[in-house]
Amino acid sequence: MRATRLVWWLVLVVVGLFYLVPMLSMARFAFQRIPVIKLSLDNVFDRWTVEPLFDTFGDPNFRKAALLSVMLAVATAVATSVLLLPTMVVAHLRSSRARKLIEVSAVLPFVVPAIALVVGFAGAFRNTFPFLIRHPLGLVPLYVITALPFTHRTLENGLAALDLRTLVNASRSLGAGWVRTMVAVIAPNMRASIATASFLAFTVVLGEFTIASLLLKNTLPLYLAYAQGQSPQGAFAVGLVLVVISTVFVALSNRFARTVKT
Amino acid sequence: MSQDIAFRDVCKSFGTTIALSHFAIAVQDGELVTLLGPSGCGKSTALRIAAGFEVADSGDVSIGMSSVIALPPSKRGIGMVFQNYSLFPHLTVRENLEFGMRVRRIARAQRTARVDELLELVRLGGLADRYPHQVSGGQQQRVALARALAVQPRVLLLDEPLSALDATVRVEVRDEIRRIQRESGIATLFVTHDQEEALAISDRICVMRDGRVEQVGTPQAVYRFPSTPFVARFVGKVNDLEVELRSSTTVRLRDHAMEIAIPSTTLSAGEARLLVRPEDVRLVSIREPQALHGVVENLHFGGATTAVDVAVTGTGQVVRVSDVTRAVHAGVGEAVGVILDTERALVTRQ
Repeated sequence: MRATRLVWWLVLVVVGLFYLVPMLSMARFAFQRIPVIKLSLDNVFDRWTVEPLFDTFGDPNFRKAALLSVMLAVATAVATSVLLLPTMVVAHLRSSRARKLIEVSAVLPFVVPAIALVVGFAGAFRNTFPFLIRHPLGLVPLYVITALPFTHRTLENGLAALDLRTLVNASRSLGAGWVRTMVAVIAPNMRASIATASFLAFTVVLGEFTIASLLLKNTLPLYLAYAQGQSPQGAFAVGLVLVVISTVFVALSNRFARTVKT
Repeated sequence: MSQDIAFRDVCKSFGTTIALSHFAIAVQDGELVTLLGPSGCGKSTALRIAAGFEVADSGDVSIGMSSVIALPPSKRGIGMVFQNYSLFPHLTVRENLEFGMRVRRIARAQRTARVDELLELVRLGGLADRYPHQVSGGQQQRVALARALAVQPRVLLLDEPLSALDATVRVEVRDEIRRIQRESGIATLFVTHDQEEALAISDRICVMRDGRVEQVGTPQAVYRFPSTPFVARFVGKVNDLEVELRSSTTVRLRDHAMEIAIPSTTLSAGEARLLVRPEDVRLVSIREPQALHGVVENLHFGGATTAVDVAVTGTGQVVRVSDVTRAVHAGVGEAVGVILDTERALVTRQ
């Protein structure tokens, strides 16, 4: 028993170090006014500054890219909830075959490379809906697909925890139509799953590089890649902030998930 | 009396399985009719078709004077209580009761008054601000009933609303449902597989088997005068005895010489089965001239009365005698006599 506990702690410490050491190194590189070559244990607490972060924040290109990424993240989260949830509810109620099909489709983004997705997307819509290629919001459908493995699983768990059929039938027998049933009955009971799926979609969008790069959209990850050449410290500082934000989102989603279980 | 809900020749199949076959029944104004039958007999399907959750292959369902077969559930004017707890978990008891009225855009003051009235009706006045998980299963079903009544439906549909409750609460809620149904005077269709529940709560019982109606009648009629062997066996307990049909009015227990008079039957002589209710069998002294002789095999003590199983000598068959108040004197292994009152017995080949 004691040995098991020891192993458990050992694993936790190793995993923790694996995660924290690069973060600390990144933080030192980004926020210490000391040349990289001179960073050592002797000067861990010397010359810390948030100046590189604020310098980057002051860059209009950064603000533009950050705004676009946040907008895309919000749009992706909203589109995921608005499109995916009703589809999954109908599949749960009406067709177990459709449910399985959605389940299989949801993991496809794991195996289909982003470049293949972009080539297919561009080929399909370049002539039919050029708006989707030109406008930055055209990234939203692609991001919804990219985030699907995470968002689908989260919503699926939420639906499985509900007595969906009974709730829907009860609502319908009381005179509610499908839209009211979805908005006033299902969504409130799925709020934890919807929030978690939204957080995950948000995080995926904030970190997505390939699709935006291939479609020439200047999102935050692209800006950071560019800024590394101009102001490496600033880029790493923003990168670190993004990691912190993502970690907070993941922690929040876990907290929501726990709330649902209790 | 007007017909508040009527099924006319309704058929429904799921693949090759026939769920309902030419199903027809009408529930009158203020009446409580129970659909009773074993699992898979089609009773819940009938209710779901009435509610609009299933589409009938053919036939018609009308509520009031008009057909509702083409209407969605939200437009049928029904109130429904489900087998599973169906209260909306994110809403308080009051908000649950208000839900249907909000859908109908009823003014707040009216909603509040109606909710208070309903909470009074189901005797849950103090629980208005609690969430479903903060009230018991029995209370949840009473709230569900009140919620169904809140929209003042033409018809109330109850889909095994007591099956998730434990025995004591079940009887309490059952009596409560009956009281509320009588007070509200609403036509009610109640689905159950529990015959005791059906006998206790119904104005009429519709016994179903394999998607068909076997018998419709008052609980007394269905119990006392079952029209088919299935009804006799399914509703209440019955002694199912192997007999030899000697003539149209007499039988003999298998391997037994004594002839027993039966109501006239059209069956031809030969092997048959005699169905007799336990309360139609009398436990008598072994010296009684018309008695079948036997030995007490088992006693089932039920408080006020006791049921006695008597193994009839030489036949290998056991007859149950119920409601025996003096059975305390007939111990296991004691020789006794039994007399079958066959006036209401059924003779069948199956």
